[in-house]
Amino acid sequence: MSKTMGEGWRKDPRATQRLVMDRLATVMSFVATAVLVLALASILWTLLWNGFAGLSIAALLHPMGPPGSNGGLANAILGSVIQTGVALILATPVGLGCGIYLSEFGNGSKFATSVRFVSDVLLSAPSILIGLFVYLVLVAPFGHFSGLAGSVALAILAVPIIVRTTEDMLRLVPVAMREAGSALGAAHWRVVLFLCLRSALPGVLTGILLALARVSGETAPLLFTSLGNQNWSFSLDKPMASLPIAIYQYAGASYDDWVRLAWTGALLVTLGVLSINIIVRFGFRSKQS
Amino acid sequence: MTSAAAPRTQPAPIQEARKLPFWKGDRLFRFLVSACALLVLVSLGGLVLTMAFGGSKAFSTFGPSFVFRNIWNPVTNQYGALAPVFGTIGSTLIAVLIGVPLAFGAAFWLTNIAPPMVAGIVGTAVQLLAAVPSIIFGMWGFFIVVPFMAQHVQPFFRHHFGHVPGIRWLVHGAPFGYGLLTGGIVLAVMITPFVTAVMRDVFAVMPPMLKESAYGLGATRWEVMRRVIVPWSRAGMIGGVVLGMGRALGETMAVTFVIGNANTIGWSLFAPRNTVASLVALEFPESAAGSLKLSSLLALGFILMLLSFTTLAIARWLLREKKA
Amino acid sequence: MSEALHDPSLMSQSTALPEAALAVRDLDFYYGEKQALKSITMDFRKQSVTAMIGPSGCGKSTLLRIFNRMYDLYPGQKATGSVLFDGANILDPALDLNMLRSRIGMVFQKPTPFPMSIYDNIAFGVRLHEKLSRSAMDARVEDVLTRVALWKEVRDRLKEPAAGMSGGQQQRLCIARSIATKPEVLLLDEPTSALDPISTARIEELLDELKQDFTIAIVTHNMQQAARCADQVAFFYLGSLIEMDSADRMFTNPRQKQTQDYITGRFG
Repeated sequence: MSKTMGEGWRKDPRATQRLVMDRLATVMSFVATAVLVLALASILWTLLWNGFAGLSIAALLHPMGPPGSNGGLANAILGSVIQTGVALILATPVGLGCGIYLSEFGNGSKFATSVRFVSDVLLSAPSILIGLFVYLVLVAPFGHFSGLAGSVALAILAVPIIVRTTEDMLRLVPVAMREAGSALGAAHWRVVLFLCLRSALPGVLTGILLALARVSGETAPLLFTSLGNQNWSFSLDKPMASLPIAIYQYAGASYDDWVRLAWTGALLVTLGVLSINIIVRFGFRSKQS
Repeated sequence: MTSAAAPRTQPAPIQEARKLPFWKGDRLFRFLVSACALLVLVSLGGLVLTMAFGGSKAFSTFGPSFVFRNIWNPVTNQYGALAPVFGTIGSTLIAVLIGVPLAFGAAFWLTNIAPPMVAGIVGTAVQLLAAVPSIIFGMWGFFIVVPFMAQHVQPFFRHHFGHVPGIRWLVHGAPFGYGLLTGGIVLAVMITPFVTAVMRDVFAVMPPMLKESAYGLGATRWEVMRRVIVPWSRAGMIGGVVLGMGRALGETMAVTFVIGNANTIGWSLFAPRNTVASLVALEFPESAAGSLKLSSLLALGFILMLLSFTTLAIARWLLREKKA
Repeated sequence: MSEALHDPSLMSQSTALPEAALAVRDLDFYYGEKQALKSITMDFRKQSVTAMIGPSGCGKSTLLRIFNRMYDLYPGQKATGSVLFDGANILDPALDLNMLRSRIGMVFQKPTPFPMSIYDNIAFGVRLHEKLSRSAMDARVEDVLTRVALWKEVRDRLKEPAAGMSGGQQQRLCIARSIATKPEVLLLDEPTSALDPISTARIEELLDELKQDFTIAIVTHNMQQAARCADQVAFFYLGSLIEMDSADRMFTNPRQKQTQDYITGRFG
């Protein structure tokens, strides 16, 4: 530094101490990040390594079978697709409707406040309890497990996510757009459905996709509802296989081929969930900007 | 954290004036969406009521002390909630104790220290991994963490702390790898990405000018963090932590593989324990309809619902304070 | 002044940089690839107010943010050349940034009260650099609040959150907070752009008093403001310093055509 430096630059006696604290915090935060990244990398690595090892045509096309029978996961994959699909079909209208109610009619009323709160409670409710609930309502009275019960359990998980995003997105629609619609003589429901909902569509779709991602990896709500099935099952009235349940059953098994299949199933579920999330995060963002 | 409370003026008077031709449409519309809202309300009501009714037999048999009974014996038909509740709260506390400092550190690093490129990549990765299904964490725990605990961590602690008075009870137990600590660790890894993502978002919406003001007074990065950013975002941070805690409380799949499933309580971090969710998942399929065991499981479900409800209520209460 | 003339150590400097608190020499600044300041050379005199004017994006705020190295927070921004301050080059990477910033204070476009009490807002910066007794801190807080004409208004609610004050009060609090660390230079980046006319007038009055003790550099969009409070005015355009002169000369008889056009409102 310059030799003519003035008196004012004399070191503050506490400067070193402050600098040390800052360095320490920097190092600690780096360590925390590193630990987190390492743990997550370990999960991904384990998943990819074991999952791809078991990935084969048979795993994708054969139904589940006894140990050593070269079984696959095809019926579980199909079951998962059916159940999450039905769950979304059930959850989307209810979630949209409830979200619309909260944003359009839900200002200040006690009922709306409690609906909003209940939706939040459901959003973070233990998913296994939702399974229990659906068991008591849709399984026990009919005497048998069913794919439909599984779908309903998943739908109950999906609804609050859709409600939250729908309400938030509708509230972002400018008042001017509503007024312009009303000024043309459109009824309120037309304004909401054809103007507001349309302009909020990317956000609402994001919510539905995130709900799909969340629900498709859920295991606990299916345990007592659709139960799982070793065979092909297409009827929503019968117990139905699903990937998460298959993983749950196979992971703890003492047969190597079952454990391998569990990893492959885990890989498939994760890839599915992650790709939905990636689509939501990058697909929609680029369109919006 | 969303600023959804923007005042909106409904163009209601306009419709009022022309209500005859469109009266039906709007009335029907309002009826339908209100029905959806009611359905949501009813489903939670139903959930809580079925648990309460289903569990009433257990509560009437054992009385309110069901909550504090340390016994779970299907053979003698004696049930109590203490052990699984202990395991649930214990594993959640461990998860929070491990996860929150990690999340805070990572969020600090990502928002204030890391080069933007790295922060972008790591931040996105962490956010994506928050969406990984919990059963994946369970499998990872089962195949990676449990053996690691059994072969390295437990022997290490037994060897070094097994005879230290005061601590030795914490590390007591056979080195199986399963146990409360393993469950807590796996839960921590599960909730940390979520909590990190929340904290990162909260730190990121901090107005840059406010941060620059603090730097402008000569504060170091850490001083800005501790004295300005943290107080400014305290409510959001706590909200994120409590939501993460709620996830850990109700988690089934990440825990059931690694906790050991023993209905016991005690000081040891390494002994097998159980959680409510895990116990329900394991024993519910083996319970006969109308049995006391089934009722006890439902009563446990009711207690878990209360725990989860309480954490959420706390989170909302803390978040509300910020708005005021 | 008379003392300075007899001080040999200052003599040598003062021939080159008379009364300059900040001496900018050949300063270039880049946002990544884009050059935002081109070869700026100018002095900021002690105990006077220097206003920087020019259309949006001309680089005047950028220049201000160089003086306390605020740009260091953002990777990809870099400055070359030199800015001499108390015998050191501000751009020196080895410089103690925290000390630099305690010696060169800054006030922003909008009030930035910290999420704490009025008292703690003032004490925040002081506590970073000094260890004061309770009573000394109380005295410091009262002193700076008095100087910004806020003491009478807030003396009874020092423990209340600063966010509860009006915008004008908040901005005066921010100025008080900046001078509480006893800086030599005060940088003001459009400090009244978010304020109503009355609050603006109070801040302008305040500047007149503060220049007794501080070197003040102010960026403003408001020509009248520059005319009212500045001793020197510098006009920037497209990253270059077009003209710098006393406020009187600048507003009555600018030498450059661009300056004249801007001042008379033909662009900007």
